[in-house]
Amino acid sequence: MKRKNLFIILLVSLCFMVNPYIASAQLKPGDPIVIGVPTALGSIEGRDGWMAIQMAVEEINAKGGVQVGPNKHLLKAYAIDTREHEPGIPVHDALTAAEKLILERKPHAIALGNFRSEVLLSTMDLISKYRLPYICSIAMTPLMQKKVTEEYDKYKYIFRNCLNAPYLSMYLGGVMGFIRKEFGFNRAYIITQDVLWAKGTGAGLEKWYKENGWEVLAFDTYATGASDFSPSLIKVRAQKAQVIVPIFDMPQSGILLKQARAMQIPALIAGFISPIACENAWKVFEGEVEGMINMIYEVGPIPVKAVPKSVAFNENYGRRWGEKARTELSGHGPGPSYDSIYILASAFERAKTVEPEAVVKALEQTDMHGAIGRIRFGKDHQVIFGFDPKETAVGVGFQWKKPGQRVVVFPEGFAEAKIDLPPYMKK
Amino acid sequence: MLLSILIYGLINSIILALTAIGFSLTFGISGVANFAYGGFYILSGFLVWMLLNYLRFPLLLAIALTIGVVGLLGFITYWIILLRVRGIALSEVIATFALGVGILELFRYLGFVTYEFTLPYLKKGMILIAGVPVDYQRLYIIGIGLALVLFLYFFTHHTRIGLSFRGIAQNERTAISLGIRSDWTAALSLAFGCAMGALAAIVILPLGIISINTGYEVLLIAVAVGIVGGLESVSGILIASLILGYTQVFTGTYLKPEWMMVVYLAAIVIVLTIKPSGLFGKFKELEERV
Repeated sequence: MKRKNLFIILLVSLCFMVNPYIASAQLKPGDPIVIGVPTALGSIEGRDGWMAIQMAVEEINAKGGVQVGPNKHLLKAYAIDTREHEPGIPVHDALTAAEKLILERKPHAIALGNFRSEVLLSTMDLISKYRLPYICSIAMTPLMQKKVTEEYDKYKYIFRNCLNAPYLSMYLGGVMGFIRKEFGFNRAYIITQDVLWAKGTGAGLEKWYKENGWEVLAFDTYATGASDFSPSLIKVRAQKAQVIVPIFDMPQSGILLKQARAMQIPALIAGFISPIACENAWKVFEGEVEGMINMIYEVGPIPVKAVPKSVAFNENYGRRWGEKARTELSGHGPGPSYDSIYILASAFERAKTVEPEAVVKALEQTDMHGAIGRIRFGKDHQVIFGFDPKETAVGVGFQWKKPGQRVVVFPEGFAEAKIDLPPYMKK
Repeated sequence: MLLSILIYGLINSIILALTAIGFSLTFGISGVANFAYGGFYILSGFLVWMLLNYLRFPLLLAIALTIGVVGLLGFITYWIILLRVRGIALSEVIATFALGVGILELFRYLGFVTYEFTLPYLKKGMILIAGVPVDYQRLYIIGIGLALVLFLYFFTHHTRIGLSFRGIAQNERTAISLGIRSDWTAALSLAFGCAMGALAAIVILPLGIISINTGYEVLLIAVAVGIVGGLESVSGILIASLILGYTQVFTGTYLKPEWMMVVYLAAIVIVLTIKPSGLFGKFKELEERV
């Protein structure tokens, strides 16, 4: 008898060791569904994404929670700051923070997730170990999809509902095509941050340029935290570049515009500079952003009539967090972070359980409309982006115009105006 | 392009000199380690920002107040923190470095981490110098940088306090026997160094944003300039700034911008290997010969 008991104890212990998450995969009536949010809370994308998640959780809970089988369960979200956006923070530190959250809060799923692509790739093994459905809403490397496709059984828990680097290249390529058609420009100068997603986007765009008859004068990269861009700007002037293509997510990158204006660089700036995507950037940078074409990776932070939920998201965000917070909404992350909670809630309801394998299957079958447009995952677990919000999720290109407005100029389907040359380029 | 490189290389060099000068005054000239320099630098930026945005102070008043407050904080830092470990170089470095990290990370904790924290230009607009556009802020930097270097030279060679700084740095016991009050001199050097750091922050930060990480970078710059030029030499600081400033701009323009930061680290390693006292330093020459 003693031997039998010992065997049972060993068997149960083994189960826990093999799957440390098994204990909380079951929900009892009254138990909350826990969502873990390990991300870079100090970044504007992480901060806004976390606020959007809290808003979605409150909205769902106000309606009684999530129906999982016979019972309704409230959602609870817990965040931890991984600080991965800061220069010098090792990947291991971010992983430790994520694991701490998983072990302490025992989440049923992860939302928002990693900021840095380098950290996301390492986190995938952690997520696989704990078998947690995971929706990434910031990190953009396409290597995530490659890993999911190549080792599906191991990485099937990982999904992404934000834009990735190839889709960003696709949008930027579209914007560049527009610029060439309108102004005949064909000389570009690429400047990116020295991080995986930005260099990946730059490389994709460089390929597009070469295939479409553009001349790429240079492809410079700057370390995260750098704030002096004069070496590149000197070359832009000397080589007579017509378009500067910056791709940055660090707070210091906004200063590139100020430096370009101070040095009177006669080139159109079109790309992505995270701090310049927010509605308050005109005020913060004292109007020096005028003429820049920037991206909103996923609609939501900018309301687009063709996507009604983006308008509702924008308004509700302002009501929940205040008008100042709304004008500070970053151009990447908030929309998908908000939607991720609805995506997970829907998956729990359709799966009728929080058991990870069933939730993953339900997530793969997601087909809904959110703040970013229509949400459907491809076989590689990446949400499909395109130009028609009835069919896909969408991002937009906008231009800063007087008196401090972000005017959508791309895609053509819902552009509000044409691209204008900035005043300093008009003869 | 060459003209642009020459002009922006000079501006970059003056920025380095301005950044390093307060640190050099304290560490090199009076022998007191202030590795909280980066923390005080960023504190100055945020203090001006808060005075302008929360209390709506006029810019000049905010600047004057900040320089005074940060100088005073440097003075107090000596009596509260450094007095207990004075003379133990490693402890001085550890104590002040911890203070600097504490200041920087406190701001991070308080949420001073986004792009909104920028300081206004002293004057907007630009002029053309030989066809190369240069904004007025950079001209202010050149002017203030050169003025500070000159001030530092005259201060340390022709004023009573400045001479006492150098006396303490050269031989503390002899200086004390000649009536120089060691603790007061050291505390004053810390106050002067911090105030100079504050002035540097106020004129340089408008070119970028007030970022926590800049605090760590500033310390690296100050150490690199000091080591290359010789910690106690004003002319050394200037020459080292020119060497590092132009090397950086050439590296960014002709090699890769991401290697610009490597210039500081490479310079530190090379100079410590070949001439540990720095290009113009004299303190360790005898030891080096031995």
